[in-house]
Amino acid sequence: MLWVSVPFLLAGMTFRIFLWFRVPRSEMKLGIFGQKEHRTTKWLKLGKDSFLFPQVLDIDRGMWGFLISFHLAIAVLFIGHLRLIFEFTALAKALGDLGMEQFAFLIGGAIGIILLITVFYFLIRRLTLPGKKISAPEDYFLLILLLLVIFTGNYMRFFGDIPITAYRQYVNSLLSFNPYIPTALDTSVARWSLGIHVMFANMLIFYLPFSKLMHFVGSFATNRIRREYLWVNSYKRL
Amino acid sequence: MGKQLQKTIVDILKKTINRQLYYYLDICTRCSICKNACHQYIMTNDLIYLPAYRAELILRIYRKYLTRTGRFISALNRAREIDEQWLDDLYKVTYSCTGCRRCMYYCPFSIDTSWLLALGKAILVAADKYPPIISEISNASIFKGENMEILKEDIIEGLKEYEKELQEKVDDPSATIPVDLKGADILYVSLPGSYSVLTAASIFHQARANWTLSLYEPANFGYFLGDTEKAAVTAKRIIDEAKRLEVKEIVISECGHGYRVMKWLWDTWSKEENPFKIRCILEVMAEYIKEERIRLNRGQIQKALTYHDPCQLARNSGIYEEPRYILRQIATDFRELTPNREKNWCCGGGGGLQAEPELEDFRLKTGEKKVEQIRNSGAKIVVAPCDNCRLQLEDLNKKYNLDISVYSVMELVADATVISKPVFPISNLD
Repeated sequence: MLWVSVPFLLAGMTFRIFLWFRVPRSEMKLGIFGQKEHRTTKWLKLGKDSFLFPQVLDIDRGMWGFLISFHLAIAVLFIGHLRLIFEFTALAKALGDLGMEQFAFLIGGAIGIILLITVFYFLIRRLTLPGKKISAPEDYFLLILLLLVIFTGNYMRFFGDIPITAYRQYVNSLLSFNPYIPTALDTSVARWSLGIHVMFANMLIFYLPFSKLMHFVGSFATNRIRREYLWVNSYKRL
Repeated sequence: MGKQLQKTIVDILKKTINRQLYYYLDICTRCSICKNACHQYIMTNDLIYLPAYRAELILRIYRKYLTRTGRFISALNRAREIDEQWLDDLYKVTYSCTGCRRCMYYCPFSIDTSWLLALGKAILVAADKYPPIISEISNASIFKGENMEILKEDIIEGLKEYEKELQEKVDDPSATIPVDLKGADILYVSLPGSYSVLTAASIFHQARANWTLSLYEPANFGYFLGDTEKAAVTAKRIIDEAKRLEVKEIVISECGHGYRVMKWLWDTWSKEENPFKIRCILEVMAEYIKEERIRLNRGQIQKALTYHDPCQLARNSGIYEEPRYILRQIATDFRELTPNREKNWCCGGGGGLQAEPELEDFRLKTGEKKVEQIRNSGAKIVVAPCDNCRLQLEDLNKKYNLDISVYSVMELVADATVISKPVFPISNLD
């Protein structure tokens, strides 16, 4: 499924971005005006807006806490999953085999719990006012899909064994288009939960280009609109 | 709803679709973070004033007619057909918004609900569903432009009275209010009324500026109506006048939306290049003070004074520091409202709401955030360089017994200008 889902994801995202760029841009000046800023500062602020959501911190600290935790957890999760392709050799050497496994369990476990809590929060937020009145079925579908991926991931982490070397062999066999399932994986108690986890993850990957998750690309463009016309104002902030 | 109207609306949707709108369609997650940014939603707790709801109302239609998912599986993203109910809802959400764009500032995706509502207004105009009073004022402005040759004499005659007043106030019989002066440096576009004309005239006189008064006003009700053609025609009268008089720059009076239209919006609407430098009178006054072309009686005001950032001048146009620079020269106890500048709360009086009597209660209710800010500042004088804001602040003052005086920056500058006698003696200033 990975052979289909990943190219589908890339093609889907490219198509979605193509759709954006196919239509002409409005010349309307939609920026929010701030102070005179150097071009570099402007780009840095765009990065800050897109990665740290300072405006949300200003008006909804609770939501900001959940948002930043969720997004950071996703970033760590992505890095953690790279271990399925290659080992972080330097870290593994420094920590030792057992230390590395304990470290992975600790970080992976914490991330799994953070994701579970934050996505539950997003779901509850949608089920209460005013979110309930404006949410659409696609919003719930996405959150439930995320919850299923996280839940099955957590199940493997906390209730199954994770033979990392076997996983790595399996993923690399897929990447080299020569698939085989190592015995350690085939006999693992987590093989069913792994299958379900991978299935939901693939569903998420398939759905991503059609979903609101496209905001992870589009928000750079829209936040740039806000920072676009930072007026060259000769007066320094008093 | 007639098929023809539905077709017209769909044509408008197709005509107005652009890249920014596509981004909004695809990435607005309906997170409702904007619920804490909008003074109208906070004060009424009514869903129809939630920026995300307002945006959704318009985006659902776009999804239905311009996206595949909206067309084929509309239940998934609640894409919907255009009907009478939708038009009624759209009317409620668009013409009640002040267009302050505070929601855009705080949106994690920078979604400009105010701009989406401008698209909604274009649909309502096509459906002949708009506040009649705003349309009438807009038509009157255009009528004035088309018949200026007939009206001109009366306007100039009226200004003669102001001129006499000016000469008395500045104690100089040679002081004039020039109109139609070819080759002047500045074409000053004033709001109607002596406080805008006379104050500017006295400041220009003291600064020995080469200026001329525009026969038009900066207020643009075509903009409030959401009819960009009318708005462009209204603004073009001023551009044409500036061309005819061969001035160097156009200076707009203390009018938030009027300045924004001239400075940032007109060229996009009209697809014409604006050949003139556009400045707000606040920038000009700050320059005169810096260059010592006018001298102020420093520290003239001892009462606690605060400054309200009009949304259209500040967040939406970038004028933040000039008025503060000016006011700090005049007042000894200058206090900031919290929050201020781009984060400032809207007073609730913009977007043409002042002209709609049926929205008066709503306007005053939603102004409570501003009332709270003013009370917390402890200020006794509130300065607002925008007519809509000033009228709203005066109404709030009466309704909530704020015990404040509301002034424009120009009034205070004219009053503090060092001449033989004050231009506008303001009774309750220390």
